[in-house]
Amino acid sequence: MSDHHDHDAPLPDTVLRVKALESLLVEKGLVDPEALDVLIDTYETKVGPRNGARVVARAWVDDDYRQRLRDDATAAIAEFGFKGRQSEHMVVLENTPEQHNMVVCTLCSCYPWAVLGLPPVWYKAAPYRAKAVMDPRGVLEEFGVALDDDVEVRVWDSTAEIRYLVLPRRPEGTEGMSEEALADLVTRDSMIGVGLAKSPGGS
Amino acid sequence: MNGAHDLGGMHGLGPIDPETDEPVFHEEWERRCFAITLATGFLGQWNIDMSRYARERMHPGEYLRTSYYEHWLHGLQTLLVEKGMLTEDEIAARMAELAGEQDS
Amino acid sequence: MKALPAKDVEHTLQNSRGARVDEDVPAKFAVGDRVLTRNFNPVGHTRLPRYARGRHGVIARDHGVFIFPDTHALGEGMKPQHLYSVHFTGQELWGPDASRCNGVCMDLWDDYLDPA
Repeated sequence: MSDHHDHDAPLPDTVLRVKALESLLVEKGLVDPEALDVLIDTYETKVGPRNGARVVARAWVDDDYRQRLRDDATAAIAEFGFKGRQSEHMVVLENTPEQHNMVVCTLCSCYPWAVLGLPPVWYKAAPYRAKAVMDPRGVLEEFGVALDDDVEVRVWDSTAEIRYLVLPRRPEGTEGMSEEALADLVTRDSMIGVGLAKSPGGS
Repeated sequence: MNGAHDLGGMHGLGPIDPETDEPVFHEEWERRCFAITLATGFLGQWNIDMSRYARERMHPGEYLRTSYYEHWLHGLQTLLVEKGMLTEDEIAARMAELAGEQDS
Repeated sequence: MKALPAKDVEHTLQNSRGARVDEDVPAKFAVGDRVLTRNFNPVGHTRLPRYARGRHGVIARDHGVFIFPDTHALGEGMKPQHLYSVHFTGQELWGPDASRCNGVCMDLWDDYLDPA
């Protein structure tokens, strides 16, 4: 597991401690074991980046929707039923030929759960959190993204409860594609701002 | 506080190293840690700002050495004990019991 | 204190309260104002990162009135106040040689900011 190669492997202590806490909490009636299963299932299987991809695809084909995202992103995203925890205050950041946006939470791991699911390990780990605000072009290079020098790269540090979704640029050669097919081109990384949307029929 | 969590601009941490097709959880204990953290949060004994502050108070050396859900675990135990919902003694006792069961 | 039952989890997740406060608190700043972030080092909880303390920025957006985490984390109340998106140039944050960072926006509360 790549997230552990810079860390000591979790001690058996960690596994034991989680088991101990869970068993004590259940015993004392403070947590419902079935509620734990619902929580895990929700974020492991039901909520994920496909949600955000649908929002982006809709914005690409529907200018009125794009304007609603600008006016009140929380409400516009909620039109899909995507709302709630860690997405109560949404702002959409549109990438343009002049400006590329990248989102980070240097202080912890704030991330728009309702549209992207839980964040990947690299987003929550120290290297990205340290580098994104100081050398975002270096971050893009690590992710294999090359931007022209005259494109402004703007980094957004999620220091409050505002949650940011990047609206990547619509790739060339996608005219006439259905919303569903367009959503297939929208990668999770493009909605964080460390990637671009995929081109049709290729990468 | 000026803890290790305040990472913007730190050098020397190595490559970002994203994992391809990464699973949501890598270990069962991470799943359980995630779930009990959210479930106990629903009890209204603390708010999200308190939960962040609890994680931030980890010793900086330990924070940098450990993984994300280990930070959550540290924060959760801190909150549960500070709010009087569990005691360190009963946690230690339960861990010893479970360790005993594992070995037998 | 009783466990939230499984049947209520989905509703609870979907209808979280969030951090906005419905109170008519006056804003200290307007979009376009130049601000200077506080130089402080609280031992408590704060969301003003060290790399952005004592720095000049510009108010880019007023998000409205929100819970203030510095007091909320210590059980000292919500202290609702305006939250802004504040833009800093890369050179302001990292020095005159900072060519790799054009700029950073972050969300900061009235209590972190003074007029510049």
